[in-house]
Amino acid sequence: MFRSLFLFDVTFWLYLAAVVLYFGYLVASKRALRPAYAGHPAFSEEDDGWAQPLGQLATWVTFCGLLVNGLALGTRAYERMQLSGTFAPWSNQFEAMSYVSFAIIAGYLFLELKYGIKAIGAFVVSVGFIAMGAASLLPYRYQVAEPLVPALNSYWIYIHVSITLTSYAAFAMAGGLGVMYLLKERAERRGRRGTIYETFPSLEKIDELGYKSVMIGFPLLAFGVILGAMWANYAWGGYWSWDPKETWSLIVWLIYGAYIHARMNRGWEGHRAALYQVFGFGMVVFCFWGVNFLLSGLHAYA
Amino acid sequence: MDAITKQTEEAKSFSFKEFGDALVEFFSSLKLAIFLMITLAILSTVGTIIQQGERPEAYIKEYGENAYWWFVKLGFVDIYHTWYFSTVLVLLCINSLTCFHQRFPAIWRSIRQDKVNVTASFIQSLKRSVTVDLPAERSTVTEAMGLAFAERGYRVLVNKGDTETTLYATKGVMGRVAAHVAHLSVTVIVAGGLLGNILGFRDFGVCLEGETYHVPQGNFDLHVDKFWIEYYDNGAVKSYNSTLSVFENGEKQVAKTITVNDPLVYKGIWFYQSSYGDSWDRVEKARIVVRDKATDKVVGEAILDWRKEAELKNLGLKLQLTDFVADFGFDAKDRRVYSKTVEHENPAVKLAITEYDRQLPAPWIFYHYPDLFEIQGSKYKFELTGYLTKKFTGLQIAKDPGVIIVWIGSTLLVVGVMLSALIFHRRVWAKVVSEPRGVTVYLGGTAYKGQIDFDREFHRLSARIKALAPPHR
Ligand code: HEM
Repeated sequence: MFRSLFLFDVTFWLYLAAVVLYFGYLVASKRALRPAYAGHPAFSEEDDGWAQPLGQLATWVTFCGLLVNGLALGTRAYERMQLSGTFAPWSNQFEAMSYVSFAIIAGYLFLELKYGIKAIGAFVVSVGFIAMGAASLLPYRYQVAEPLVPALNSYWIYIHVSITLTSYAAFAMAGGLGVMYLLKERAERRGRRGTIYETFPSLEKIDELGYKSVMIGFPLLAFGVILGAMWANYAWGGYWSWDPKETWSLIVWLIYGAYIHARMNRGWEGHRAALYQVFGFGMVVFCFWGVNFLLSGLHAYA
Repeated sequence: MDAITKQTEEAKSFSFKEFGDALVEFFSSLKLAIFLMITLAILSTVGTIIQQGERPEAYIKEYGENAYWWFVKLGFVDIYHTWYFSTVLVLLCINSLTCFHQRFPAIWRSIRQDKVNVTASFIQSLKRSVTVDLPAERSTVTEAMGLAFAERGYRVLVNKGDTETTLYATKGVMGRVAAHVAHLSVTVIVAGGLLGNILGFRDFGVCLEGETYHVPQGNFDLHVDKFWIEYYDNGAVKSYNSTLSVFENGEKQVAKTITVNDPLVYKGIWFYQSSYGDSWDRVEKARIVVRDKATDKVVGEAILDWRKEAELKNLGLKLQLTDFVADFGFDAKDRRVYSKTVEHENPAVKLAITEYDRQLPAPWIFYHYPDLFEIQGSKYKFELTGYLTKKFTGLQIAKDPGVIIVWIGSTLLVVGVMLSALIFHRRVWAKVVSEPRGVTVYLGGTAYKGQIDFDREFHRLSARIKALAPPHR
């Protein structure tokens, strides 16, 4: 138990370091911007020199964080196996949060690899870091691995929970991108030049990536909810019982369904879409946390 | 006169058609879809904030008398089964079916035949477009471009004219077909749910080890052979299990040990291990302490098995546990003892006592009130000092013929939504126009979504075409 908790701790610090580095990268790139737009030559050497190494370091630290995060989950899986013969390292709130941050960071690194946009890291890695941080703020008794209650002791937990949590990660990414969009947009509207926001990718790009994230989360959530229904049908004799957690997953899914269709021809791009992504992520957070702690139901085991 | 009638008739039929069109328009509109989705989300939220299906007292305690009245009026205590909730669901089905009807045929047609011939100005008006002059043969350029498209998985159609060739390349239309598969699936799922509601049933059975129960819906008998609980080392419950046998016409058909997550299925009826608990009308064993009335000293103790006579020879006593109630209640009208709740609030046993071969009137003995009654004609006082509860197994019994349809719909939904997310529709046109010295290529494209990826692809395509120019130029 302590081995995995230690690794989760290390993950937390690595992600913190990554967030700091990404913000450092933003600041450095901004400083590199300034002389260019002011029109006279670079006025100091280090302006140009910092951004690239910081960005590189940020990526590597994030990658190390991801490795340790994965290692921590693996260790926890091993500990669970010793304890009760099941291994799913997402069997309580703490483990689920750690898994979500793993998925967010993995998704981000993939995005960075594919599109080479580092500025996004400051926002998306932050979301992953916050997820990890919130997990480590949970009381100790939520962090340790208790043996599973009979209802959860099933192979369905491997697939249903991991897929649902992965969809949350995609929505988290969309939320982070939404915030990024809104910040950049505000800066542009005020006509301020030479700010951090200028180092962001174009509004259009942020918008499109946000949509992409939602379009990854949406099918995954559909799949996750349906797997949950199958599990319920197998375990409780009814695929849908309007339990608060499953209802909230449906609500979240409908909210994103509306987003997808609103985007299609009602011009919900840009500002509105970004706002909506942030709102949708708020709903995901409620579905994930609020329901477990505020509403009662079958899923409130943790 | 005639003419006027005819005219109004025409106007009438015209307006009917118009009305019909407007109706279809309305029901296939995205606006309605968005509205319905948000409405469903809001109604569902209400249902999670206000607990569903509670007893009236619970609502009144939490929200007050007045609010409760409104809740009942508005259906908030069972919102998922109100007429308006169902209406929204049905409207969503109508909406997506109409949408399918309106839009799918065009998409389907476009798989086979598409707009190949376009003008150069159309291509230039596209969001992504380039114009390149190349000093090369028209046929060479056309061929190279066709190859470039095909290599990227595009389907290419070519229209050759006297002075110009138009290429049309498309891929990913299946993504849009998939979206429409998702639209159909919604109705399938709702239909499956409805079918289950009409033809299925769901019951909860409290069953005891060793007993046989008739299942009228399947016309067979269910015998509970055994029920037991397994624990982890730390005392937490690991699993609970029942061994069940099905008897039909007195013959054993199947036997299975069910546990949570592993039900028994017989004749389409599913038996789930759903819960367990302490019985309220029987116990496994009870401990009875016997005192001498005169001295109030303990003179004996007996651990009685349920409905088995036990003898205390030295006291001249024969005792038998004949009844138990967990929460003693007395129905004055029927003169009958019963358990008011399933909780062990006021447990009592009924004891048949034979003292020196003389049968005494069987008294109720209360766990919490040992001195309540004095037993006439006995030397002794009897106290119930403890008992071992008899566990019941809670079985959920359900039949749902709609469930298979729900799974079919779900599969369509997931596959549809996944494919529509992964595959996106792209169309590229290229017009190669012969000029006095070579050709002019107009290249343009649109993507239905996935703009960034398409940008990159378009960029590569145009680079490829620009590279057709001989390097020496
Ligand atoms: C809950 C039910 C629904 C689901 C799961 C669903 C799902 C989807 C998905 C995944 C897409 C593809 C989105 C994209 O490519 O970005 C889509 C497209 C679309 N949806 Fe829905 N939808 C639903 C209900 C509706 C309804 C009720 C309408 C009624 C108007 C509608 C109209 C459309 C239209 C017009 C498109 C574009 C199709 C195309 O031409 O490619 N949807 N839908």
